[in-house]
Amino acid sequence: MQIIFSTQLLFAALVIGSIYVLVAVGLNMVYGTMRLLNIAHGEMVMAGAYTSYWLFTLAGVSPLLSMLVAAVLCAGFGALLYRGLFRRLLNDSKFLARLEGNSLLLFFGISIVLQNVAALLFQPTPRGYQYLDGVIQVADASITENNLLALVVALVLCGAIVLFLRFHIYGLAIKALIQHRQGAMVVGIDVERIQLLSFCIGFGTAGLAGSLLSMMQQITPFMGFPFTIASFVVVILGGLGNLLGGMAAGVLLGVLETYGVALTSPSLRSVLIYGVFILVLLVRPQGLLGGRRLAR
Amino acid sequence: MKLLPAGLGLAFLLAAMAAVPQFADEYIVGVALSLAMWIALTESWVLLSGLTGYVSLGHVVFYGIGSYVGVLVWQQVPMWQMIALAGLSSGLFALVVGYPVLRVRGPYFVMLTFGIAELVKFVVIDIEAQLGEFSRLVLGGPSVTDLYYVMLGMAAAAVVLTYAVGRSRAGYALRAIRENEEAAETVGVPVARYKLAVFALSAVIPGMVGAVMAVRSSYFEPSQAFDPVISFTIVTMAIIGGSDNARGPLVGSAFLVILSELLWDRAPQMYMILLGLLLIAFVLFAPGGVTAWRLPRFGGARR
Repeated sequence: MQIIFSTQLLFAALVIGSIYVLVAVGLNMVYGTMRLLNIAHGEMVMAGAYTSYWLFTLAGVSPLLSMLVAAVLCAGFGALLYRGLFRRLLNDSKFLARLEGNSLLLFFGISIVLQNVAALLFQPTPRGYQYLDGVIQVADASITENNLLALVVALVLCGAIVLFLRFHIYGLAIKALIQHRQGAMVVGIDVERIQLLSFCIGFGTAGLAGSLLSMMQQITPFMGFPFTIASFVVVILGGLGNLLGGMAAGVLLGVLETYGVALTSPSLRSVLIYGVFILVLLVRPQGLLGGRRLAR
Repeated sequence: MKLLPAGLGLAFLLAAMAAVPQFADEYIVGVALSLAMWIALTESWVLLSGLTGYVSLGHVVFYGIGSYVGVLVWQQVPMWQMIALAGLSSGLFALVVGYPVLRVRGPYFVMLTFGIAELVKFVVIDIEAQLGEFSRLVLGGPSVTDLYYVMLGMAAAAVVLTYAVGRSRAGYALRAIRENEEAAETVGVPVARYKLAVFALSAVIPGMVGAVMAVRSSYFEPSQAFDPVISFTIVTMAIIGGSDNARGPLVGSAFLVILSELLWDRAPQMYMILLGLLLIAFVLFAPGGVTAWRLPRFGGARR
């Protein structure tokens, strides 16, 4: 029972929770502004992780630097996807009639392609590297430096996103689009530009989260999917389109997962995550922390 | 589609497939077996998802449960009882989870089915680990040819079932649910009962298929019996072929089985990449699938 009250566990819960928040924010933005269900979201985490891995092992670039490269690469991929595919589809009335279902199948195809391209290029075997793996003692907890770094970066970034959404004109426009699409158009918001921006921010933050993750754990071409699932849990718990609710939910999921595993056994981690996922979908598909009921 | 030519065509196809072991070697019989397996699985999927529009991305869960139950009773009961038990367990599982699950709609249903399949997979992995079993051998089964005839029978049963339900009064009710569930309920379709019935019905054959495939592969390993790639392949086959009628899965299965024979051994990743690209292409350009190409686009053909 001692372990339950340790700082160690609380810290671990916060680290994984902050990563979930960071990954889920992007999913929420893309869904909130366009109603696209991006189940290829976790693959951006994977892409970001490989970017940092290769830059570190081949060129010795610090993940602190390469996470920016990862963010830019993933944002670029998002922009490409929007410009090449989704901009057209979002103007196609036949596609719009079944927007969520169709986007789910499309992103599912994209996810399978990305996973297997990565497996083809990088081999399916897990890889890892060592960066800042010294241990610091804080109170009764032994904290690995790279974990602390990831937590700090994730917190700073989440703070930046909150401020951006609250004060920047584009951030306000994103929120407007989430709240009311037609209304946003009427007041003169350039919807296409905001949608492009949502794609870039959404994919970019996921890539960056992948970079942070690659410092802490082994990476594989198939590592992304659990993060997609976790993001959906976070987004549905926090309310689809509700970005602040998502942040609370991310930390909550991190706590649930860490303490749940500590109380039972590590082999039950996946059972726990999927159990919460199913429960959340069954009980309230429109989100626990309020939020508007969206057309289904 | 008129009833008589369709029946004749199916009878001819069945006869041709039944004759395969007479002139082909064991390898070809194996390929025909996997074709029959995919037809049975995809037809069962179309029964649920094609007709009602409740897209299941977790149909492998029924296959996996059938496999697991089959392996647990293997050599304790005769094989036909093992297959029947497997089908019953899957159907029962569908009945139990169906009630809450089918209240969730659209994309949330899709994600839910996926989540359930993964959850059951991890639970079975955990149970097996607790029991100290990491993969079970299933030895002493009948020859590939015999298994092939069993599988062919199930494929035929699945085609007939989907065809019969699709043309029945219930079939029209299910399509009405797909087009507009509230409207269907308003005009008196017992929506909840029909959905649950078709959900359970679409689970039985995959369960039986799973049991036969465990015998065929001669071992059972939970992460393979519940491999999400199976669900994904089913959906892609149905979408390529067309999922509003019983013909679509025949076309889609045949196409992907040939593709998989050409690519799977040499380049499994290339095969998966191609599968993903095909899914994207069909969702974008031919949502009705191949069998809808020459028909005018009214009513039925979609997804």
